[in-house]
Amino acid sequence: MRKEGPMILTVISSLVVVFSTYFFLGQKWNLMEPLNNWFQISYAIALALGFVNLSVIHVKYIQRKREGWFYSIILLLCMYAYLVLGMIETQNGLHFDWIYVNMMSPLSATMFSLVAFFITSAAYRAFRIRTKEATILLVCALFVMLGRAPIGDAIWGSWSAFVSKWVMGTMNVAGMRGINLGIAVGGFATALRIMLGLERAHIGGSGTQ
Amino acid sequence: MMWLLAQEQAPVPTLGIFSAGSVIDFAFVLVLGVIIWIMVARARTGRKIPEIKKIAGLEAVDEAIGRATEMGRPVAFIPGILSVDNPQTLAAFGMVSHIARQCARYDTRFLALNCDPLPYAVIEEITRQAYLEEGRPDAFNPDDIRFLSAEQFAFTGAVIGIFERERPAANIMIGAFYAEAMMLAETGSFQGMIQIGGTAMTAQLPFFVAACDYSLIGEEIYAASAYLSKEPVMYGTVVGQDWMKIVVALLIVVGAVLATVSPDSTFLKDILGGY
Repeated sequence: MRKEGPMILTVISSLVVVFSTYFFLGQKWNLMEPLNNWFQISYAIALALGFVNLSVIHVKYIQRKREGWFYSIILLLCMYAYLVLGMIETQNGLHFDWIYVNMMSPLSATMFSLVAFFITSAAYRAFRIRTKEATILLVCALFVMLGRAPIGDAIWGSWSAFVSKWVMGTMNVAGMRGINLGIAVGGFATALRIMLGLERAHIGGSGTQ
Repeated sequence: MMWLLAQEQAPVPTLGIFSAGSVIDFAFVLVLGVIIWIMVARARTGRKIPEIKKIAGLEAVDEAIGRATEMGRPVAFIPGILSVDNPQTLAAFGMVSHIARQCARYDTRFLALNCDPLPYAVIEEITRQAYLEEGRPDAFNPDDIRFLSAEQFAFTGAVIGIFERERPAANIMIGAFYAEAMMLAETGSFQGMIQIGGTAMTAQLPFFVAACDYSLIGEEIYAASAYLSKEPVMYGTVVGQDWMKIVVALLIVVGAVLATVSPDSTFLKDILGGY
């Protein structure tokens, strides 16, 4: 029953989703609402589990005086202080919101800004001319970059913008749509495998039937 | 008058039972289901099913674990940053099972780094089960299955830190990734890890191709668990998936021919869009 129970729940839930997506009565009865509520409840429980996991790991780091253990203290202090503040003020609280907007958001933006540097180093590696494919990639990338920068316009006039547009709008879109088509069918097939009980990895099985 | 207006706006079922615009979608699911059922039935009765091509990224999974074992360093796994309601995360679960089993077999440390609490809980259970099935429940360390942060870039920073400190020898990333894909893959590359990246987020695919040793492109991640299981029944589902792509490709050809022969014709559009 340890595996059958979750499997039955999976099948029932997926049938409810299919019924409420494709059938008129399913939409009329709003069958998805209780499922969505249960998803939120499960998420909250799992978040508490994650919270415990994070606490246990960092308490161990502090106890063992592992390298950088001081940062674990900061992490635990911030995490618990923000939790308590959130419980007191709720999510729209003045200080709770201020900390998020003025501390969390700038930190996230700083991390995001690093992407530019990572892209540069990855592009350098990808564009090194070693193979025929890498050469084609480099030439296409050069045309696209020149077509989107004023210098391209200054060198070749509107021709560079045309080539850039053609590479992005014709070659790139054709490839991407082909990939997207496969993704859509693959997603359907995965859902069906789970619904039919052929794939059981998500319930702690060995991955297959 | 108001009552009459309300009556007019009430939704009407298509063909008596379907919600508006979902008949063709449902037919699509039904056809795919039938094709997969036929292939599974053939595999179950031992009849021949078409072969599926070798996927280099999946063949390399065991190689990556082997390398980590030889070096005595961990294998890192990241199941993307979205929750269990995304099919890419479900595809990642199928791989976790295989990787955790191999790690248990070779006594290699398995690090699963999670951004969402639900996949964290599921992956912990899958890993525990994998170690149990391999007869190594004592080797399972729940502290290696980690929830880091539900914030995208806090998670990214934490993973980069773990990569720098614990220096895994292999990094396998399967699931839904956004801007962090480039940062994680590049950090792994700087560390000299053997990396396998797979996602169905088309905007992130080029980053994995550029920074990883092997990449799984789009639908390949959905075939992963079936491919790694080496079970004929699961192979059958992947073959069914390929047959469905042929059906869709035929529809595209028919659409292209109709659009060329008669540009003003709305025949196919009426059929597909009308229901």
